[in-house]
Amino acid sequence: MKLFWKDQVSLLLFYLLQMLLVPVLYWLAGEHRPIAIVLYGMALSSVILLLYLGFRYVKHYRLFARLSSPVPMVEYHSIPLGDAPLPEAVYEHLQIIERKYQEQLNMHVSRMDQHIVFINRWVHQMKTPLSVIQLTLPELEEEVASSIQEELERLRKGLEMVIYTSRLDRFEDDFQVEVLLLRKAVNEAVSENRRLFIRRGVQVDIQVDEEIFVYSDAKWLRFMLTQILTNAVNYTSGTGKTVTVSSTQIGTDTVLNITDQGIGISPEDLRRVFNPYFTGERGRQYHESTGMGLYLVREICNRLGHKVELHSRPGEGTTLRLTFRGNLVQALGPNTDRNKQT
Amino acid sequence: METILIIEDDAKLAGLLGAYLSKYDFNTILVQDFNSVLETFKECSADLVLLDVNLPRYDGFYWCRQIRKTSICPILFISARDSGMDQVMALENGGDDYITKPFHYEVVLAKIRSHLRRAYGSYAQTQEERTLHSGGLTLYPERYVIQIAGQSADLTQKEAILLEALMLKEGRVVTRERLLDLMWEDQHFIDDNTLNVYITRVRKKLKDLGLEDLVETVRGAGYRLSISSEAT
Repeated sequence: MKLFWKDQVSLLLFYLLQMLLVPVLYWLAGEHRPIAIVLYGMALSSVILLLYLGFRYVKHYRLFARLSSPVPMVEYHSIPLGDAPLPEAVYEHLQIIERKYQEQLNMHVSRMDQHIVFINRWVHQMKTPLSVIQLTLPELEEEVASSIQEELERLRKGLEMVIYTSRLDRFEDDFQVEVLLLRKAVNEAVSENRRLFIRRGVQVDIQVDEEIFVYSDAKWLRFMLTQILTNAVNYTSGTGKTVTVSSTQIGTDTVLNITDQGIGISPEDLRRVFNPYFTGERGRQYHESTGMGLYLVREICNRLGHKVELHSRPGEGTTLRLTFRGNLVQALGPNTDRNKQT
Repeated sequence: METILIIEDDAKLAGLLGAYLSKYDFNTILVQDFNSVLETFKECSADLVLLDVNLPRYDGFYWCRQIRKTSICPILFISARDSGMDQVMALENGGDDYITKPFHYEVVLAKIRSHLRRAYGSYAQTQEERTLHSGGLTLYPERYVIQIAGQSADLTQKEAILLEALMLKEGRVVTRERLLDLMWEDQHFIDDNTLNVYITRVRKKLKDLGLEDLVETVRGAGYRLSISSEAT
């Protein structure tokens, strides 16, 4: 309504001017018409104006209502704005814009899909040469071989990160939450990364209860643990240090703590470590960092409904805390056996 | 001697696998023409098939179904794809196991052995126990026993692993990292000190058999087993 009046302000002013024009003309011409008849004429004319305004308001009601609604509606094309020329023109115009926008959007979506498919294919293609290198290794001198092995593992991890990053865009098609034995998941992740621990001379201490089950996706959890452990080891310098993986129960939640004795993270960096591409001062010192690891961990946690926090004191180390919702220790007692069999 | 058919379109990878398996007394055949995989399979009457998923013309799943129509021999998939879905597909199309790239020789060998044992139980019984010989020294890695000139000594599992690694590379250096990697257990990190202890124990057992200074320490690198002629 307000917009409607705003739109008509110029007309009203124009009309007012005209209303004054007639009495002024009479007065200048020296005709002394009774004031009553002049006022009557003005009133009559005003009624016609009001009728016009009313008619116009009815005809354009939907257009004005739409334009003054605080949240623009997305489906312009589905609801006509009325049959007066102006609303029709606006409606058609919006439809054209909408169609163009849809076309562009579809183009980008299909281009992104293509890109994901390409990346997936490419990563898989790269795995065959990696296998060939892996299999050629034993024939080489031991010292050279171990150095190549190290690089090979970095390549493998890099490829894994690429594929998991691209999978993240299609997360909905690619996850399956199940009941997992937390201890087993941790053991596997640690064992898979054991060469990294050995190379850095970092020890690992796993204090996770055998009986703890959590709801999660095995594949994504394994990927997250690899990222977290890699970080923990990379930021722990000096041999004889230990990375501790422990679990606690807080209420019905299961909390997994991964603590390193590394250099820690400064408070000003702590807020930003989950940002993509953030490497920070430490990351630049330890050149392996791409800044994507923790970002991916947080994204995956968000999607799986886990909580991730980071606590750190510079010089004393860092604890990454994963919280799994719900307590499954008692609830799944009988299933323990079933899981062991399969 | 079992025949293993390798269906893998990367010639280098297929060649490496073939060469490695030949060393372990397998008769390996590589598919050359990917239009007539089935014919090759029938001709060579393979006991076990290693099958890649991505192949020219038809994929591995297709060939697996074709082979299954005529044979129940073990089929192990080797693929770069690691999603759960692909593994399910492989098994549902008649595969027996799934190995993801990149892999280690040991994994492939172990899986081949295990499937052969299962499929042709009789082979397993006649199959000789794995032994390693170096000079006069004989290691039975599955029984944790070492023998020389009629004398024998029992080892622990870790000591056996250690000695096997050293004997396989006899005369060459085995790095500490490699040994730590082999001896890693699920949750136990084995540190340098522990490794030293194991090495000392192995040395002592060898000494008890009258063999001294077989295991050399190579400073900053690792260990080397050098069996001189006097040991034999």
